Amino acid sequence: MVKLTLNGRERTLEVQPTDTLLHVLRDQLHLTGAKPGCERGECGACSVLLDDDNVYSCLTLAIACEGRRVTTIEGLAEGDALHPLQEAFIAHDAVQCGFCTPGQILAAVALLQREPHPTEAHIAAALSGNLCRCGTYPNIVRAIQAVAERADA
Amino acid sequence: MPNEPRRRYVSTVVEVEGREERKIVETPDFDVAPWPADEALAIVGARVPRIDGRAKVTGRAVYTSDITLPGMLHAVLVRATSAPGRLADLDVAAARRIDGVVDVITAADLPRKVRVNALPLFGSDIVYVGQPVAAVCAASAAAARAAAAVMLREESKGDPVVDPMLAAASPEPRVLETQLLGGEPEVMQRGDVERGLAEADVVVRREYRTPSALHTAIETHAAVAQFDGERLTLWESTQGIFRVRNEVARAVGLPRSRVRVLMDYMGGGFGAKNHAGAQSVAAALFAMRTGAPVRCVLDRIAEQSDSGHRPATVQRVTLGARRDGRLTAIAADTWVALGAGGWDGGPAQIYHQLYSCPNVRTREHCVYTHSQPMAAFRGPGYTEGAFGLERAMDTLARELQLDPLELRLRNFAARDERKNREFSANGLRQCYEDASRRFGWSTRAHGASGGPRRRGFGMAAQVWPAGGGPPAYATLVLQSDGSAEVLAGTQDLGTGARTVLAQIAAQALGVPLSDVRVVLGDTERTPYTGNSWGSMTTASVGPAVRMAAVDAQARLREAAAALMQCEAGELDVCDGRVSSHDGRHSMTVAEICKRLGNVMITGHGSRGPNEPDLGLMSFGAQFAEVEVDPETGQVRVLRIVATHDVGRVINPTLAESQLVGGILQGLGYAMFEERVLDQRTALPLNPTTHDYKIPTMADVPAIDARCLGVPDNRANHIGARGLGEPPVIPTAPAIANAVADALGVEVNEIPLAPWRVRAALSATGPRGTA
Repeated sequence: MVKLTLNGRERTLEVQPTDTLLHVLRDQLHLTGAKPGCERGECGACSVLLDDDNVYSCLTLAIACEGRRVTTIEGLAEGDALHPLQEAFIAHDAVQCGFCTPGQILAAVALLQREPHPTEAHIAAALSGNLCRCGTYPNIVRAIQAVAERADA
Repeated sequence: MPNEPRRRYVSTVVEVEGREERKIVETPDFDVAPWPADEALAIVGARVPRIDGRAKVTGRAVYTSDITLPGMLHAVLVRATSAPGRLADLDVAAARRIDGVVDVITAADLPRKVRVNALPLFGSDIVYVGQPVAAVCAASAAAARAAAAVMLREESKGDPVVDPMLAAASPEPRVLETQLLGGEPEVMQRGDVERGLAEADVVVRREYRTPSALHTAIETHAAVAQFDGERLTLWESTQGIFRVRNEVARAVGLPRSRVRVLMDYMGGGFGAKNHAGAQSVAAALFAMRTGAPVRCVLDRIAEQSDSGHRPATVQRVTLGARRDGRLTAIAADTWVALGAGGWDGGPAQIYHQLYSCPNVRTREHCVYTHSQPMAAFRGPGYTEGAFGLERAMDTLARELQLDPLELRLRNFAARDERKNREFSANGLRQCYEDASRRFGWSTRAHGASGGPRRRGFGMAAQVWPAGGGPPAYATLVLQSDGSAEVLAGTQDLGTGARTVLAQIAAQALGVPLSDVRVVLGDTERTPYTGNSWGSMTTASVGPAVRMAAVDAQARLREAAAALMQCEAGELDVCDGRVSSHDGRHSMTVAEICKRLGNVMITGHGSRGPNEPDLGLMSFGAQFAEVEVDPETGQVRVLRIVATHDVGRVINPTLAESQLVGGILQGLGYAMFEERVLDQRTALPLNPTTHDYKIPTMADVPAIDARCLGVPDNRANHIGARGLGEPPVIPTAPAIANAVADALGVEVNEIPLAPWRVRAALSATGPRGTA
C-alpha cells in the first residue's frame, strides 16, 4: 500500500514492491500520458513530477512515492484551462507526433519552477534528458521562453 | 458536376521513392481546376496551429501502446541471441510452467507459412541477432518476458559476416541464397562514362562510407488485437493501415473484409512502420487462439535490433569535369549492407538525378549480411547517396578552384535526365539563391574563431521523387449540425497530415477550419489511401480531399438553392455561409444542414493519375557552418540554413517544423548516429537510446529553414509536392563539407566522431590557412 497525492487527489494504492510508478500509472490507473519510450531511464517520455522535480517514472518505484505529490500530464490543466506551457507548446508548434510531449512539458514545468528565467543553455541542459525524434527541440525552447517572458510581465 | 463520359479506369505509372509501378487507377468523375498560383487563399497557406495539438499536450491522444482492453493479455517475442545459427527445440514446457503464461506460438503453430521481411516467421534458420523465433502470451508483460527468457535453445552455425565488401566477395553466399539482392549488381547508365572521363580536364576518385542508422521512433512498434470469433480488430502503430490489414489477413487466414486495422495517433515511424511485423501477427494469432485481447509492444532493445535500419554503404565515386566545371562523367560503385533482407533502395539514384551530366553509371551491390533487414528510413538511398555525391562535388570544386555553389549552379539539371523527361517544376536555383543569401554564403569569413578552433562552411543539395499519386480516396460528410467530417484512410505520423487535410477541406468547402473534423486510420470506416511513405500524403490525399469538398459544396449549393428558391449557380459558399451573388439570399451552413434534417450531403473525391512522362520532384539546398577543434576532433554545428521547393505549402508552420525535424535527423546521421555490430559475433553493441545517440536538445544548432512556396499546378490541383523526406537528405554532406572546409582535409566517412576527424587530420595533415 502506498499513500500519495496524485494530480491533487489523495490516493491509497495497492502496489507491489517491484512496481514502477510508470506501470502503476499506466496499467493500474489508466493514466497513459506518461509513455513507455524505453523503460530503462534513457528517453524521458515517462517523465512526471514528483513533488516539484521531474523524474523518470520508469525508474521510480511506486512505493518510493509514499507521502509525496505526483503530477502527470493529465493533472496539469485546470479543467478546460490549459497550463501556460501546454498553450505555448501548441502555439509554437512544439509538438509533432506528440509521444514525447507530455514528458517534455513536465520537464519544462519543473525547470520553470526551479528557474523562472532560464537561459537557452539552461533549457537545453534541463531538457536534454527528454528525447524527441521528430525534432521539435527548437520550438520547445521557444515555447518555454515565451512562458518565461510572460511571467516577467 | 459531371462532365461528359470518359474512361473511368486507366493504366498509369505510379512512382514511390523512385520505384515505378504500372497500375490501373480510377480517373476522377470531374476535374477540379487548380487554385490560381498567385491567389492568396484564406485557410490553405495559413499558419494555423495543429488541430490535434490539444489532444497531444493534455495526454488525451491515445497511441497504440496506451490501449488497454478488459481481460487483455500481453505478448512478448522470443528472439535469437546469436547468429548465424539454427534453432534447436524450443523449451515450450518450461515457458508454460511460468505462472501467468497462457499460450505459446512457435513455427509449428502458425496456420500457414508467413513471411516477415521476406524471412519465414519463426523459422529455424537464424540469420541475425534479434530475429523472432516464437512468441509467448501471459496475464502480465512481466510473466511473458520471464517465459520468453527460458525458451530459447540455439545452435551456433559458424561465423557471421557484417561487412558488405567481405560478404559480396565471399565465394559462397553466407546469409541467404545469394550474396546480392537480385543475384547481381544493379547497373543503371546513360551515355558512356569512359568517354566522359576521357573528355574531362579534372577527375576526382574517392571512397565514401556511411553508417547504418536506426529510426528510433520514441514509440516502439506496437499492436493490440481483439477477435470476436469472426472479425479481427487490430490497433497498430503503422504508416499503412491497409497494407497491415492485407498482410495480417493473409498471415492469419482471414479474408481482408474480416480484419479491421485502426491507427489514430502514432509516436513516429520514419519508414520503420510500413508493414505488419511479428508483433502484429503474434497479437492477432494469440487473440484468435485465446479469445482474449492481446497487446504486443516491442521493448527498446527489440526496437533497435529488429525494426529496420538505414543500411551502411560504401560508395566509390568518380567525377569528371571540364575546366569550366561542367560534369562530363559521374560513376559510382556502391555496396549496401542490407542485412538479412530488404529492397534496392540504395544510394545510386541520386547520382542520376541531381545534376546535368551526359554520362552516368552506377553499379549497386545490395549485399546480404548478418543483421536485421533494412527498412526504408526517411529519404532512403538518396540520403546515403547525397553524402557520397555531394562530398565528391565539394572535392571537385576544390580541384577546379571553383566556389562549391558555383559548381552546382553550372551543373543545374533543367530536365530529369535520368528518365529523359521534364520536371513539373524545379525551384532548385531559387533554393540556392534564397538559402545562400540568408546564410551569407558570399560573405562568409573563414579562419580561427578564437583559440584553436576553426570555422568552416559547407553546402549540399537534394532531389527526391515527391509527386504522390493514385489511388487515394476521401469522403466529406456534412453533419446535421453543419460541421464537416473528412474521412480518409491515411495516417498522421506526427507530420501534420490531419491538420493540412482539414485546411484543404475547409478552404475548398468554404467553412471555417474549426468546423472540420478529420477522421483517419480505419480500414473499415475510412476510404483507401496508401502508406504514408515516399513523402506522398499531401500530394496524394490532398487532391482527393479537395475534390470531396468541392463535390459536397456543389450538393450543398443545390440543397441551399431549393431552400432559398433560387438557382445553385447564383450561390457561393464562404466562411460557413451560403449567399447569392446579389446578396438577396444568405444562410449559414449550419442553418441549411439543420433545415435539411436527415438529408445527407456527402462528397466523394479521388486522386487522379499524374501527367505521363513528367518528373515530379522536390528539391532543396542547405548550408552549414561548423566549428572544429583540431586538437580534440570535436565538431560543433553552429547553424543550418535551408530552403526547399515543395510546391505550394499548405501550412508554413508545420512545413518548417518538418524541415527542422529532417535537418536534425540529418545532423544526427552526420555527427553521432551509428548502429554498431560486433564484427566477430554480429551482436548489436548499441541497441538502446543511451548507446545509440540521437540528437538531444543540447545538440541543436541555430536552424533557419523555409520553403519557397511556389505552387506547382502541373503536379496536381492543390499545387503541392512532398516534403517529409527531402530535408534529411542534404544535411550530412553540408555538415561534412563544412568540416572539410574548416580543416582543409577530407572527411569521407560519417558519423563525424572526434576520432574520425582526428584520423582525417593525421592522414592528410592540415592544409590551407587557419
